[in-house]
Amino acid sequence: MTLPPRLENKFSELLKRYPVKRSALVPMLLYTQDVFGYIGDEMVAEIARRLDLNTLQVTETLVYYSMLRREPAGRCHVQVCTNIACKLRGGEKLWEHAQKRLGVGHKQTSADGVFSLEEVECIGACTGAPAVQVNYDFHENLTPEKLDKILDEFQAGRKPSPAPYIIGSIHERHPAEAPVISRRFGIPNSRKIDVYRKHEGYQALEKALNEMTPESIIEEVKKSNLRGRGGAGFPAGMKWSFVPKDSPKPKYIIANADESEPGTCKDRPLMEFDPHQLIEGMVIAGRSVNSYQGYIYVRGEYRYVLDIMDEAIREAYEHGFLGKNILGSGFNFDLCTHTGAGAYECGEESALMESLEGKRGYPRIRPPFPAVVGLYGCPTVINNVETLSSVPSVILKGAEWYANLGPARNGGTRLFCISGHVNKPGIYELPMGFNLLRMINEVAGGVRGGKKLKAVVPGGSSTPALKAEECDIPMDFDSLAKAGSMLGSGGVVVLDEDTCMVDFARRIMKFYAHESCGWCIPCREGTSWIKKILDRFHAGGGRAEDIPLIDEAAKNMFGRTFCPLGDAAAMPTMAIVKKWRHEFEEHLNGRCPYKPLDVPVGV
Amino acid sequence: MPEQKTVTFTINERKLTVPAGTLVIEAARRTGIEVPAFCYYPGLSLQAACRMCLVEVEKAPKLQTACTLVAADGMVVRTDTPQVHKARKDMLEFLLTNHPLDCPVCDKGGECELQDMTFRYGLDKSRFVEEKLHSPEQAWSPVVYYDAPRCILCFRCVRVCDEGMDVKALGVGQRGVLSVIIPNREDHLECEECGMCIDVCPVGALTSGAYRYKTRPWEMKYVPTVCAHCSNGCKTTLGVRNNEIQRANNRDLSGINKDFLCVKGRYGFDFVHHPDRLKQPLVRRNGTLQIASWEDALAEVAARLKTVRDAHGPDAIGFIGSNRTTNEENYLLGRLARGLVGTNNVDHHRTADYGALVQALGESAGAAQAGMEQLGAAKAILLIGNDPTNQNPLVAWQIRTAIRQNGARLYVVNTEEIKLKRKAAQFVRVASGAEALIAQWLATGEGDLELDTSVEMMQLRGAMEKERDAVIVFGAELRGAAIEHVVKFGASLPGQTRYIALGDYANSRGASDMGLLPDRLPGYVWTSDAAARDAFGKLWGASLPEKTGLDSRQMLAAAARGALKALYVVGANPFRTFGAGGRPAGLDWVVVQEMFLTETSRDADIVLPAACAYEKDGTVTNTAGEVQLLRRGLETMGTRTDFDILRILSHQLSKAGVGRAIPLRTPEAALDEIRRSVRGYGVSLPGLLAGGAERTAPLAPANGHKLIDVPAESIFSPRDTLFTSGTLGRYCTMIHSVPEAKSES
Repeated sequence: MTLPPRLENKFSELLKRYPVKRSALVPMLLYTQDVFGYIGDEMVAEIARRLDLNTLQVTETLVYYSMLRREPAGRCHVQVCTNIACKLRGGEKLWEHAQKRLGVGHKQTSADGVFSLEEVECIGACTGAPAVQVNYDFHENLTPEKLDKILDEFQAGRKPSPAPYIIGSIHERHPAEAPVISRRFGIPNSRKIDVYRKHEGYQALEKALNEMTPESIIEEVKKSNLRGRGGAGFPAGMKWSFVPKDSPKPKYIIANADESEPGTCKDRPLMEFDPHQLIEGMVIAGRSVNSYQGYIYVRGEYRYVLDIMDEAIREAYEHGFLGKNILGSGFNFDLCTHTGAGAYECGEESALMESLEGKRGYPRIRPPFPAVVGLYGCPTVINNVETLSSVPSVILKGAEWYANLGPARNGGTRLFCISGHVNKPGIYELPMGFNLLRMINEVAGGVRGGKKLKAVVPGGSSTPALKAEECDIPMDFDSLAKAGSMLGSGGVVVLDEDTCMVDFARRIMKFYAHESCGWCIPCREGTSWIKKILDRFHAGGGRAEDIPLIDEAAKNMFGRTFCPLGDAAAMPTMAIVKKWRHEFEEHLNGRCPYKPLDVPVGV
Repeated sequence: MPEQKTVTFTINERKLTVPAGTLVIEAARRTGIEVPAFCYYPGLSLQAACRMCLVEVEKAPKLQTACTLVAADGMVVRTDTPQVHKARKDMLEFLLTNHPLDCPVCDKGGECELQDMTFRYGLDKSRFVEEKLHSPEQAWSPVVYYDAPRCILCFRCVRVCDEGMDVKALGVGQRGVLSVIIPNREDHLECEECGMCIDVCPVGALTSGAYRYKTRPWEMKYVPTVCAHCSNGCKTTLGVRNNEIQRANNRDLSGINKDFLCVKGRYGFDFVHHPDRLKQPLVRRNGTLQIASWEDALAEVAARLKTVRDAHGPDAIGFIGSNRTTNEENYLLGRLARGLVGTNNVDHHRTADYGALVQALGESAGAAQAGMEQLGAAKAILLIGNDPTNQNPLVAWQIRTAIRQNGARLYVVNTEEIKLKRKAAQFVRVASGAEALIAQWLATGEGDLELDTSVEMMQLRGAMEKERDAVIVFGAELRGAAIEHVVKFGASLPGQTRYIALGDYANSRGASDMGLLPDRLPGYVWTSDAAARDAFGKLWGASLPEKTGLDSRQMLAAAARGALKALYVVGANPFRTFGAGGRPAGLDWVVVQEMFLTETSRDADIVLPAACAYEKDGTVTNTAGEVQLLRRGLETMGTRTDFDILRILSHQLSKAGVGRAIPLRTPEAALDEIRRSVRGYGVSLPGLLAGGAERTAPLAPANGHKLIDVPAESIFSPRDTLFTSGTLGRYCTMIHSVPEAKSES
């Protein structure tokens, strides 16, 4: 069938990116939706034909991803985030307001076809919360009034300008900050290759290619104590060293830019302001394991970031930092982006690779690990954007320098996204091991409105919350682990004394129930069950036996699920029940004690 | 062969030594230690999704899934600790949160794996008080129903449809707790309707349209027998209640087909209860067929046979046997024709040239025939002609199994782009009718192939020459000398090459083996072989005719000329199969043993209502030469088995002075005689009785007979599909109900 030229061009360009046709499936579906507003039967058949798939294979992949639609939506698809960071700053009120204003509910379209509405999970605008996406545009720091104005503009057929960049990323530097990977944030045109090169750009690559061997690169990264910034904190150099050198198969480098852990929005500015830093890190990683091909898997919601990355990749090719014989070294490396389409699970490395292969984002059985059997069954290095973005600094300034920025075994700096009830939400680059209380009180301006601190989620919603009195703690992988929590993804969510912890637990579990892929029984059934109990409990229908039941159901998931998503759902729940059990008990008399008395029971 | 490596590990304090690479779950099960699992299914890819098989492993921080854990030296596994028991209990609690507890009305009740596991390992009370997810049941086809709330998402159905059947008609919709199984056509299935998805479903999520809400599993009697349709000989277990077949499946995984059954094996049993079934003998009087008693009908048959024989000689009578009656019945028919009547005018509808294969293999025929199991274990397969997916579904399944499990390479030569092409390492398309030429070219390098074909065939031959222990499978396209060529080519390949000739219908092979052929006695000995004639003559108490008789087509032609006066037909429809224009005018008299009024029986003078395969004891031989036992599952009043009809008739004839009555009173007695007297049929009786498929070992006498090119008119495949099956298929209403069958006809 004849397609609009821009879609036809996109398809043929996508098909060139992968050694296996099916990999183009998810991007093709998303770009189809961009053109037609949805993916109809005809396009399902057409895409199946082009990829040598049957229509069922296309359909079952399509329905997995929450951004992909089989029915038309409104011209302006309004997506309101109510996940924890937005919720703490009025996201739910914004959601209520949007429903009233547009007269439609979740996944409904207004009669005139202009607006459709959807309550969405964390869109990575936590320091600009509450936030709304209209189509791909981010609108941040909203109030109901501001939202009204934006909707008025759309209603009138205009396109209001979105947030110029992620709010909270550009701010006056706090003296305690140690800008390394964020040092180019705020420099005009920092994403352009010329500007990047003026500020030490691609010098690390030159050093790696001309002065170092693949082995010495890995050695340097090992010595730097650079640990995985996606959340697990696995030493990056060690991961790279697992790639079998003598494998005759191609090897792949993947940047995990599927940033979706609620409370986390650091990869977004890293790619938005400094795309070349990531590219440089990936080429160096490629060199270290003798890989010739890299992919950057960017979550579907970050479309403008993907466009920025694409442009930077184009520039890098133009200047010879990608492609054949890079800097005359004889080393070849190709790189391209790949879009997701709405699935938190695809941030899990093996599910990401399934997704990149054009399938439902189900995690894979491990072992074998990706370093040995990864993308297309080949050895693969997969690292978080922040990890790979740190590599040029490690190489350029030396492992020792980098390691010494942080405490023992926790090298370097970290981008902390401080959101929630603080005066100055923002993304701050601080040395590893920086004290959490100081972070909140000094760097982020303290708890908003002079309120008392109740709890802190230290590293994204899956990390167990700390009580206020536990917060005098160095923020590094080992200290947090010792305190029974995790450093996680760097998403620090601050909760004040007026926050209902039952409601907070409920919202967290709602997220995991929505994002559970459904592969294994304990996660699929457990998240949904606990969410149902918490819904009822918070609405005033709680029974005393529900409190241990919530705890046990979470414990029964913990450690038994196929992938870490089950643990991610269980850990915060168990922590909240344990640390704030009295709040659950206070709900037993029929209502949430944190709700104003004029709000009726059951809401 | 290098010695297989083993590992020694401990499970529940027991030391086990198993081959390296063995999964802990398999090792445990083989030792009798149950490790429960839903998603684990032998032969299908691993999932580790249900988390039921979690076990404790020393030094591992968390419980491990036994279904993905490979046993290693020194590993210490425990399956019976409190931690493991609790994990199972908790997993079942999770499963039951959304699973409806409608066991009393669920088809699966009584044979449900979830029910059994809950009984053994589950909690005795539910802590789930929330509303369960519900969605209405869906009819995906007349024979496949899906009840989403009951589905526990073990993905067995998805895998068996993809990996096992290569149909890929099932997928997963939505995600998380809303995940469901979805069919390939939005709200219905378009597939081979094999029902494998229903079979492997551990719960009542996928149910059979043919069986649902009809009975409870414990109310049926189970009869293991052999499918009545194609020539592959799948074991099928009939569930019978009140003398009615409720369902057919193979859940005990017995037989050569293990899991497998196709649409015919699973749903094609209702011809048994078809209202058109003949239940009383019919005798033509004043031009119409009228009901008669068995006594009158049989007396008349004997009298008329004697009259014709006396007036025109034994060669004025012809016998056409069946490719769906048992070996014992076929043996009896041949004995009656040759030993009592005294003619070699004996034939059946031949659908493969088994005789030529046996002859070409000569002394080595026993070892050179591949059984179904060997086909599934093959490393390389050459398929010439035929479309196994449609005509020989188990053969197709075994080929796919060999590819999936052993990485076997499949080479296909066909005139059509058959479905197995998708699995082929090489596919060569040849012109219609060129298969024999291809065989000749493979054996001799001679033959005028088209340029493209010869280039491709050279590549194929080159690849085959590197394969060891290949299996060569071919259809009715190869006959006579072409088979000799294939065997010559096979003999030039490394290792032991084995062969399967593909025929059609449940006992085509047996009809051939039992000598329902104009020039052969049972066991492929020639009628011209005096010693063989003497041996059988002694056994049968008769002097056997030497002259080659007429084949089916020649009999009809002779009848048209008036040279053949009487035709005796058993379970066949020659007026249609070989038919130009129905009953030949010159035939004085026709008798037919049949289940239905076919083109032949409706024009007969006497019709004797016969029992069907599911109503009989006896043996049948599949196309690969494996003998299996049929067991009587039920009876239809008024019918008699072909065995009984022939046996009684022999007494009637004898009484009328035609030959000596056959003294074999039961199929068991006949089998005993066959085992002693028919070459290759000395099979193990205990093996048969235990439900095994016993391989025959035919041995062709090397007495200088040259293989002749049998004309295509004499040996040909009816090219049945998955949804047709000769006469029986016309009365399988369940099969007709699926849309794919309608588009076939």
